[in-house]
Amino acid sequence: MNIKKLLLRNETALIIAIILLSLVIGIKSPEFFTLANLFDIFRSSFVQLIFALGVLIVIISGGIDISFPAVGIFAGYTAVVLMQRFEWNPENLLLPIALAIIIGTILGAINSIAIATFGIPTLIATLGTSGIFRGIMLTFIGSSFISDIPIALDNFATADLLKIQPEEGTLARLHILIIPVAILTILVSLLLTRTMFGRSVYALGGGVEATRRLGISVKRTQAKIYMLVGGLSGLAGILYVSLQRKANPYDLTGSELDIIAAVVLGGASIMGGYGTVFGTVLGVLLISLIKGNLILLGVSGSWQRAAVGALLLIGITVQALNESKKAKNRRVSTSDEAGE
Amino acid sequence: MNERFSKFNTGLLADRKITQLMIFTALTFIFFSYVSKDIFFTSSNFVSMAYQIPEIAILSIALMLSMLTGGIDLSIVSISNAAALVASWVMTTKMGESENLSNKWIIIACVLGTIVGLLAGAVNSILVARLNVTPILATLATMTLFNGIAIGMTNGESVSGLPEQFMRVGNGTFFGIPTPFVLMILIAIAVGFLVNRTTLGLKVFLVGTNRKAAQYSVMGDRKVIAWVYLISGLLSSLAGLIIASRTSAASPDFGSSYILLAIVIVVLGGVNPNGGFGTVTGVILATAVLQMVSSGFNALRFSQFFYLAAQGGVLIFVMILNVVLENRRTNKSIAKSLRS
Amino acid sequence: MVKLLTAQYGVENIVKSFGGAKALSGVSLSVTGGEVHCIAGENGSGKSTLIKIMSGVHAPDSGVIQLGDKTFTHLSPREAVREGVQVIFQDFSLLPNLTVAENIAMPTYILNNSRILSKNQTKEIASNALDLIGIDIDINTPVADISIASKQLIAIARATNLGVKMLFMDEPTTALTRKEIKRLFEVVEQIKARGVATVFVSHKIDEIQEICNTITILRNGEVVGDGLMKDFKRDKISQAMTGLNVSETRIAPKLKKTSKKVVEIKNFTTKPTFSNISFSIAPGEILGMTGLLGSGRTELAEAIFGQYPVDSGEIIVDGKPIHLNSSSEALKAGIGYVPPDRLTQGLFLEQSILNNLVAVGIDQYQSKGGRLSKSRLAQAGERWIKDLRIKTNNPQNPVTSLSGGNQQRVVLAKWLAMNPHLMILNGPTVGVDIGSKREILEIIRDRAQEGMAFLVVSDDIPELVQICHRVIVIKNGQISKEFSEAQLDEKVLYKELS
Repeated sequence: MNIKKLLLRNETALIIAIILLSLVIGIKSPEFFTLANLFDIFRSSFVQLIFALGVLIVIISGGIDISFPAVGIFAGYTAVVLMQRFEWNPENLLLPIALAIIIGTILGAINSIAIATFGIPTLIATLGTSGIFRGIMLTFIGSSFISDIPIALDNFATADLLKIQPEEGTLARLHILIIPVAILTILVSLLLTRTMFGRSVYALGGGVEATRRLGISVKRTQAKIYMLVGGLSGLAGILYVSLQRKANPYDLTGSELDIIAAVVLGGASIMGGYGTVFGTVLGVLLISLIKGNLILLGVSGSWQRAAVGALLLIGITVQALNESKKAKNRRVSTSDEAGE
Repeated sequence: MNERFSKFNTGLLADRKITQLMIFTALTFIFFSYVSKDIFFTSSNFVSMAYQIPEIAILSIALMLSMLTGGIDLSIVSISNAAALVASWVMTTKMGESENLSNKWIIIACVLGTIVGLLAGAVNSILVARLNVTPILATLATMTLFNGIAIGMTNGESVSGLPEQFMRVGNGTFFGIPTPFVLMILIAIAVGFLVNRTTLGLKVFLVGTNRKAAQYSVMGDRKVIAWVYLISGLLSSLAGLIIASRTSAASPDFGSSYILLAIVIVVLGGVNPNGGFGTVTGVILATAVLQMVSSGFNALRFSQFFYLAAQGGVLIFVMILNVVLENRRTNKSIAKSLRS
Repeated sequence: MVKLLTAQYGVENIVKSFGGAKALSGVSLSVTGGEVHCIAGENGSGKSTLIKIMSGVHAPDSGVIQLGDKTFTHLSPREAVREGVQVIFQDFSLLPNLTVAENIAMPTYILNNSRILSKNQTKEIASNALDLIGIDIDINTPVADISIASKQLIAIARATNLGVKMLFMDEPTTALTRKEIKRLFEVVEQIKARGVATVFVSHKIDEIQEICNTITILRNGEVVGDGLMKDFKRDKISQAMTGLNVSETRIAPKLKKTSKKVVEIKNFTTKPTFSNISFSIAPGEILGMTGLLGSGRTELAEAIFGQYPVDSGEIIVDGKPIHLNSSSEALKAGIGYVPPDRLTQGLFLEQSILNNLVAVGIDQYQSKGGRLSKSRLAQAGERWIKDLRIKTNNPQNPVTSLSGGNQQRVVLAKWLAMNPHLMILNGPTVGVDIGSKREILEIIRDRAQEGMAFLVVSDDIPELVQICHRVIVIKNGQISKEFSEAQLDEKVLYKELS
């Protein structure tokens, strides 16, 4: 790949944005450049990244899923409720995680039925299911705030891989999640680039009819996609509960925007067929950077959403301008497309 | 000469759908009246519903407009809140200055609110009509931005204590009918006229039916789309003012679940999410149905969360119904075209 | 190899109905390995149903499918592929966001039920496939950036790679230049030698005559003629396809001598698509414009309509220079444009016939306050239905209730209703049955006699010779030659193009 192409790629623009932003923040508040802050940014990105990976897969396939926070909190909250109700071993960390993943996958299957079996447009389908999930959860499973979550989950919140105490300043704590999340990220990347399933996801984004004619089962691929996203969202949900050290069923509302923004800024096209894990990671980092460190710029936290919105707006405007330029060039080389 | 010429938009189909909806509305009414004689079937309940329906009906009409063109305006609620906030801020500030707030300032406040709606709508127009950004993405971004700005400027707090004269609009009557209801009818008639009896309206249907063909054949197709998002913004601001007037408060996060409700209403009301078909009457009827469900659930002591789940359920159900019916219609027309 | 070259592929007595409507009634055809067969038929003749049955998309009500020495009553798509039947549709079914290599390799992976892919393996599969048909394309480019002709070859490479035995190609030459058609035929010769039975489904008889060995003609779900290609001349084929004796004689009206010009194009340039294009059209004149794919002819047509940017140059309509920034301005200046694909670009399928007819001229029916005058709308509808003989009993019916030919009339009427001074038609009879084709040309003739100027952009040479007063040929973005009325001749035009 030649230099020019490399420079024009979306990821490069993101990296530049991240570096610039970091510099601006750091100049205003040198405490930005501490290890503690860096590790903190990581910590606040884990859950987001897991959600974002799921959303990325859906967006590449040409759809959109806005039910993932509802799935996440449903799975996380229900897992905790089940642990307490049936008095399962509170010291078992893997059990609630497994429960949440399973619940998430089941909820994802419901999305699959709506989308793959019945062909309901993805935005409307997932908007509907998010209402159903949240509604059912709050009506039948519980609407109360649980602060005494199982001890293993609670302890996990402080499971740090590294603890570095600088001479002055706060303790820098790198949470152990960095390892599994990094592995998960790599796995998803491999899934998307090296497996038939992953390429089918891209194929779907490239053209549903063409994919069908290749002999790929569109319905089955879609079903797998939404179940996978469900499972990932469930995982993210239970980790969220753990890191927050509480299970609040009203949480995670509104977080769709930040995560979709991260994925879109990361280069995924909402029309489908394009997007990379690397771009999504950068997108999540950028959003975390903004949300967490606006304060260091002297801007009150209540401007976080506006900042994300502004960034997203800039991002889509740039993408739109690029698209029209590309379209013009493309017409010149493949002209006379009779009726395409 | 056939009088059917007087209705376009495949008038026959519209007639059929509205009749079905009227029957459905009547059935819902009978059901809840029967099941909850004391609470639902009372004049105080009907009056209360008459006060609550208008704001969501107006928002749904706004949504219908953007959907008719094959797009969607997800930012309607955030625009409504923004308009309400601006108007409320002006009113409370002026109230603080003098004891009696003249009507002049209330009117100015409302005008400013609608200007906010127009400006916000203009942003959407530029993104969708000029820059060709996909409506889902564009309005997702503006929704985030507008909501973010509102939160930032108010610090997440609501503005309350609005002047009494203003509240009289949202809570008073006009010749015995609740004022907001009258306003809703006026707006419905106006939009209905726009959509069914003006050149702009016909163009809206054509653009929604086939955007590509519209680019070639419909004069000013981009202007049509621009107007639609502008009007959507305007209507949203009117809804916001009515909300503020009724509740005597404005907050940045009010009605966060209204977007789901609006989509449910619009889909139930017979609007085709892909564009090209929809009626104002259908939307009003659907609003009535959903309001009756909400009120009925309330009377039956169901939690509001169950209502949330019900909304999602209705949405999914109606979409599945649409898909099933559409498949049957397509099969019939394949057979027909083979014959011709 | 001998086995391949004698293997028979085809169907016997296939009957298929859809909800009471018979698509195929007792169709039989047979193609030998190594043969190139043509299936000719209009829209609605049943040819697409036949392809779908052979490729496993539909199951026949009765009859058998013969693939080599195996017989089937029906097939599934996967079975069809496994038995060597492949279809290349007009859109090639390629995935634009994936690379050439991945597009070619995908079906192989699917056939082998592979779960994991490797980049090297993908590259290898793709390179081998392209070598097999003697083509060289950069396999790492995304398909979106590749020309149409190359896309088609990639589709063929993909099919060949899967060991295709019977290859259907749906309207393969529509979007190709002469040079590219030659290249396509070279590739077909290659696969022919390998024993592949190739079936061209096409009505562009001229273009495929040289490569096809045998032909089957379908009409209304029945075989109305079959045999060796050399026994069938073009008009015999047309007649069989339509059941009509359709004249193809020249019908261009006599041109009144006048120095007036409806439109003058001066030095239109948009690099690199076209440069220094200048021509003019007189009232009542029908100017034909043709050129190879990539010559810039469609861009030029769209530029005159304001749908494609013009970097420099002038356009004068009725003596007044105009600026074309959008189609609306072109319309206001009196220019109309009929795009080539009526289904996606020309019609509003779910809307009524009436709405389709008035789509362009909506503003004309405005009364005060932006209101729509429905009575005037209805009147206009009635008038145009009568004028263009559109067969319908209720203008409120959806336009999908019309036949293809009538639909094309609606598209034409929509523009004619604006009474433009210049009507640009891009591929006006593409996908239109031969009977309607002639009628549409007659409509053009009639309007031209009334003074309307026409610019007919087409790659259908016979059609241009039938209707045009003059023809200009575009090559590489420039006018290479202009043929006057006396010089118009099919052979000469073909020569200029190649």
